[in-house]
Amino acid sequence: MADLEYFKLSKPQKMLRGIGSFFARIPQGIVNGLKKLAQLVVSLFKGLGANIADLFTTFKNGDWKTRLSYLVMGFGSCARGQWGRGILFFLFQTVFNVYMFMPNAEFSGCYYLGKLSTLGTVETYKQGRKTVYGDNSFFILLYGVLTIFFIIAFIYTWRVNIKQNKINEQLLKSGHKLKTAKDDLDSLRDEQFHKTMLALPTLGVTVFTILPIFFMILVAFTNFDATHQPPGKLFTWVGWDNFNQLLAMDSASYGDTFRHVLLWTLIWAFFATFLNYFLGMLVAIMINKKGIKLKKMWRTILVMTIAIPQFVSLLYVSKMFAADGLVNTYLMKWGWISSPLPFWTDPVWARVTIIVINVWIGIPYLMLIATGILMNIPADLYESARIDGANAFQMYRKITLPYMLFVTGPYLLTSFTGNINNFNVIFLLSGGKPLSLDLAGGAGHTDLLITWLYKMTVNDTNYKLAAVIGILVFVVTAVINLIVYNMIPSVKNEEDFQ
Amino acid sequence: MKKFLAIVLTVVMVLSLASFASAEGFSGDIKIWVADKAVDFTVNQVETFKAAHPEYAGMTVTVEAVGEGDAANKVITDVESAADIYGFAQDQLGRLVQAAAIEVVEEENAKKVEAENDPGSVSAVKVGGVMYAYPMTSDNGYFLYYDKSVVTDPTDLDKILADCAAAGKNFYFEVNSGWYQVAFFFAQGCELTYETDNEGAYTKLNTDYASDKGVAALKSMIKMAKSPAYQNGSSLSTATNVGAIVDGVWDAGAAKELFGENYAATKLPVADGVQLSGFGGFKMLGIKPQTDDAKLAACDALAAYLTSEEVQLARFMDPNLQWGPSNLNAQQNEAVKADVALSALGAQLAYTIPQGQYPGGYWTTATGLGDDILAHKLDDADDAALLEVLKTFVANCEAAMNQ
Repeated sequence: MADLEYFKLSKPQKMLRGIGSFFARIPQGIVNGLKKLAQLVVSLFKGLGANIADLFTTFKNGDWKTRLSYLVMGFGSCARGQWGRGILFFLFQTVFNVYMFMPNAEFSGCYYLGKLSTLGTVETYKQGRKTVYGDNSFFILLYGVLTIFFIIAFIYTWRVNIKQNKINEQLLKSGHKLKTAKDDLDSLRDEQFHKTMLALPTLGVTVFTILPIFFMILVAFTNFDATHQPPGKLFTWVGWDNFNQLLAMDSASYGDTFRHVLLWTLIWAFFATFLNYFLGMLVAIMINKKGIKLKKMWRTILVMTIAIPQFVSLLYVSKMFAADGLVNTYLMKWGWISSPLPFWTDPVWARVTIIVINVWIGIPYLMLIATGILMNIPADLYESARIDGANAFQMYRKITLPYMLFVTGPYLLTSFTGNINNFNVIFLLSGGKPLSLDLAGGAGHTDLLITWLYKMTVNDTNYKLAAVIGILVFVVTAVINLIVYNMIPSVKNEEDFQ
Repeated sequence: MKKFLAIVLTVVMVLSLASFASAEGFSGDIKIWVADKAVDFTVNQVETFKAAHPEYAGMTVTVEAVGEGDAANKVITDVESAADIYGFAQDQLGRLVQAAAIEVVEEENAKKVEAENDPGSVSAVKVGGVMYAYPMTSDNGYFLYYDKSVVTDPTDLDKILADCAAAGKNFYFEVNSGWYQVAFFFAQGCELTYETDNEGAYTKLNTDYASDKGVAALKSMIKMAKSPAYQNGSSLSTATNVGAIVDGVWDAGAAKELFGENYAATKLPVADGVQLSGFGGFKMLGIKPQTDDAKLAACDALAAYLTSEEVQLARFMDPNLQWGPSNLNAQQNEAVKADVALSALGAQLAYTIPQGQYPGGYWTTATGLGDDILAHKLDDADDAALLEVLKTFVANCEAAMNQ
């Protein structure tokens, strides 16, 4: 369709076209994504091939120092006078060998790696009255993963060690001097300073974030639950069984419950994000308006809810709306109602109550953010609009809202993700209740995926299904984020407000 | 050389003697978990135990506060760092056995426990036919606390509700708990028990909830929940405007304080012509699996002592605890018999059924049914629809066996 024809369309038609073209782009996007993935795989293999070829040529062309370095890491560096690097390489190799082939087989890398495929076979048994523990599947899985990480690190270091030899040989041939240990240390303070700074964070992220994530993903493929609890019992690999149990369309129990909880999670995240956003903005605009007195007081009153810890305020509010709580008691005393309103006992009431209470908590944050941004909008924009005869609503729609959306687009996205995982509000207000016979796995009508996951791990020690839910939460948030990220104005029209 | 040999021989002899001695007694560390308010009491009792048993005088016992509700969870999550002896409520026993986080009671002690404690508590510490724990109290049941000035006739549920409504007071019964809910079902003669093998795996569900009797019980609960005086709950600390409450002995102190002169306690009322029943519950001590025989023997001796007649009685006499004993002789004590709350529990005991082993899925299913009642989802359902609900209930209970 040519540009001219597009301009002839009416507004709703334009919008429809926009949405239509978004969905029309999806297949192309998927194809492009797959193409990129294929390219990545190809380049990965090419890189691997080049590396292996390089290993052979280095060995063939290298001198004896280089060749010996293939076996004893750091030998070449030491022999050429780079003692610092050489000793570090050698130390790393020694530590790795000791870990992998420790004499006490119970704790060696090879032991864990060997058992990783079964997660242990030796059962715990009794000798007379005392207990003799067998394999501990938990540690086998944990240290098995750790060992794999360690092996990858070792291979990488080994490769670097050989590359160093090659480079040093060439440097010496061309008559250059090699860096001494002192030079290396100096460069770590100077041109390689970024490596010094990032060493600790990288290590921390690997050990405390990547490793546990990897571990939890693997748990989703085991039968680690209440009846397979180490050290007393073993657990083992079960493939995709847990995913089937949670996603199966025919299964009356978990499949239905999962979809029910997922739907509510999305509804909740939508309302919690956008209702707070627009109401918060509205409050900010009202307080900002010329002629409003005691601006500071209104803001302070609203901000008070932030000052009180949620543990206190939410538990208190939850009790307030209970069947025997303040609200119901007074309404009944005044004769407005004859029986308590089912704030927490009726599924629909409970959901609405939670969303409304969340507005009370969420507005102050949005009001603070919006106040700052509103003050930043150039006043001359409004002035010229007023001269052109625009009314308040038109000015809001054409000036304030686009400006707000542009600046807070990324914030909206993160807060949507945050609300999908908004554990505090749900857990403290309703605890996921009310439950129902229609829902399985201890899930309630107001449970989010994240609170359901919590119940599964803490109450039922059902780690396998909790791990699956964890993975699915990631998939859901990732998909939504990718789609929305490409739609928000801050990304699409980066230049608009500069 | 001879001298050296002599020294070596002496050392070997001394060592073998030492090891022989340690087989008799034990001198390592033992950790105990009990409820917060029982810590001081337990520390004192452990001292008495050590004084009476010189072979254990050398061991170091630490007592930490872990609630009876949390203990099992903590033990299952991390057996290695858990306490060697821990107190817990009986609904957790099945999980502990399934996770192999509890040791079987030593044979001699098991015989003694069986002979000296009330039959309910003895059946509660067994899974399959094997005894896994030492019964400590026999007071984990519920009955009715009420305000004498509000409730005129505590024997009939309808009258209690009417009295409370007339006085603008609340009647509390926790209908969305699998523990309280059975009061109505068992009252109608319904049954819901699970059979397990000796490793704690559930093998069979025995129930007739999905029957006319079950429907009658469900209707009684729905009717109760419709009353304006009815509130869901069983804890005096969060209840407001209480006229009467179905609660246990742990709230006796709070009830006395709340009702003052009008404090009264009695067995559960009659609802729609049948006497309400319920679970008889128990607290117990468990020992985690040990890798050292000497330590296990020490734990056995200590746990047996902490659940013996004299300690159970002392536990009741302790003003902070006042836990009702499961030991038959201790139950015959005059002071125990004179306690208002305990005698109400005693009166109710005749109608209760000792709580056996239930999988986690049972409790959530029961909460689901209770929440459906509270949401008034079943208010207008006819008998056939209620029967369908109970069929779902039973199906969920059945499914809970394999989770």
